[in-house]
Amino acid sequence: MKLPGKLRTRALLFSFLATFAAAYLGAAETASQAVKIKIDTILASNQKDEFDSRLKPIEKQLKKSLKYRSYRLLKEESQNLPAQGNGSFDVPGGRTLIVSPQDFTNQQIALKVRLQGGEKPLLDTTLKLENKTNFIFAGPPHENGVLVLVIWATVQ
Amino acid sequence: MELSDWELVQKCQLGEMEAFQELVSRYHQKVYIVVLGLLRNRDDAMEVAQETFFRAYRKIKSFEGGSSFYTWLYRIAVNIAIDTQRRQKRSLLDYRDNMDEVFEEQQEVAKDPFSDVHEKELREKLLSAINDLTPEHKAVIVLRTLEGLSYKDIGDILGCSEGTVMSRLHYARKKLQEKLRAYL
Amino acid sequence: MKSCDEIRELLGAWVDGELGRAEADAVRLHVEGCSVCSEERRQLDKLNVSIKSALVSQRPIAFEPFWRGVERRINEKNSWRDEWMDRLRGAFGRPNLAWSIPAVIGLALVLYSLGVWKEETPRNNFAAVESIDAYGRNVALLRENETRTTVIWLYQNQEGDNEASGETSDQSPTF
Repeated sequence: MKLPGKLRTRALLFSFLATFAAAYLGAAETASQAVKIKIDTILASNQKDEFDSRLKPIEKQLKKSLKYRSYRLLKEESQNLPAQGNGSFDVPGGRTLIVSPQDFTNQQIALKVRLQGGEKPLLDTTLKLENKTNFIFAGPPHENGVLVLVIWATVQ
Repeated sequence: MELSDWELVQKCQLGEMEAFQELVSRYHQKVYIVVLGLLRNRDDAMEVAQETFFRAYRKIKSFEGGSSFYTWLYRIAVNIAIDTQRRQKRSLLDYRDNMDEVFEEQQEVAKDPFSDVHEKELREKLLSAINDLTPEHKAVIVLRTLEGLSYKDIGDILGCSEGTVMSRLHYARKKLQEKLRAYL
Repeated sequence: MKSCDEIRELLGAWVDGELGRAEADAVRLHVEGCSVCSEERRQLDKLNVSIKSALVSQRPIAFEPFWRGVERRINEKNSWRDEWMDRLRGAFGRPNLAWSIPAVIGLALVLYSLGVWKEETPRNNFAAVESIDAYGRNVALLRENETRTTVIWLYQNQEGDNEASGETSDQSPTF
């Protein structure tokens, strides 16, 4: 096979790089973008050895971070929230999780999160999370175990 | 007859893996304990301890026997641990080692409601105060208190003089005493 | 004759057995005759015992899994190096296919940008927690290094008041 000319090779390489740059780097980050918040509500306990297959994508996270024998997905809920908007998510046991995206800069989503028991605040936190990643709230007791809330944030 | 550390090192330098395995067997516990004292996280300590022996393996040919093998090994371990500490960002919140500690505490509370609160508080405050020390001050405290190493050995490990070891220990102990005076 | 301040500077080294004979004797004589320095020595002893007790790991680690971890590192690094050397030799030995290298790299970049290789599992970077207010409850912040997961653990109070109590709060959410 003959080697193509230098000019052709350079044009080929440049066009690939330009496509990559346009597709990946060109997307503008704006503070006004909506953020999709997804909450996986999980019951963790030591009653028996059981792992809900729906939790497969985060199995390693759960088992490495927490030391329970059983994990069961109770519910999954998503909301698209505008910046500065509030989203309420019902949490078993009469609790509510309120999430408010603040802004999105440098691939980091700033969130305010509150866990309430009835009307009483239990925990407030502000944090920054990389786009399309999650963090975990855990500890509130429920049935014979504890609740584990896996909170995902994705810019839309 | 059991071979000395230096004899094992010489065998390692000739490529004998069994000799290196014997050295790991002799010192893995000590290295792990020292590193755990510095990092306070079991997973990190395991990583750093294994990395220590890996680097020792890579550098074994450069070991000439000027210092004892274990001070050479501890030097590698402490340097990696100090680098690890510097890389890790700490927030103002108290970190827990891992979930094991959380669970142990919960079980302690459940099993023994009348446990010695004072001793528990002292331990927590002490660990927190040790964590607040700089990596270099933490290192001298751990090496002296856990391993009982001489100032000379500690100086060899940290690459400083005995006088520096003495003054760092004095400073570190003074800081800890200040924070824990009510408990001592 | 050394002052109490000078003695206190030397107390730690004296307890550690690191002073020369003459200096050690001087410190010992002073401590025996000075209640303040004697108390200081008692506190130092207690501190040393407490530090050791706090730092000592109760659980020894098993050798076999530890050794496997070390061995794996040694073997991984060896094979990585060998593979890389083979690749370099191969790349420089086939000039006719040199054009394919930038093409493959470019294609990979395009495919990545189009999301073909997006992972199902999360990237799991640590969350940067800026503030936590648990309203007087105990809370722990945990970081799991392997999956890079951040866990905020809310402890249960003695009264078990994490369950909804139905009480109304004076505070409304401050978002």
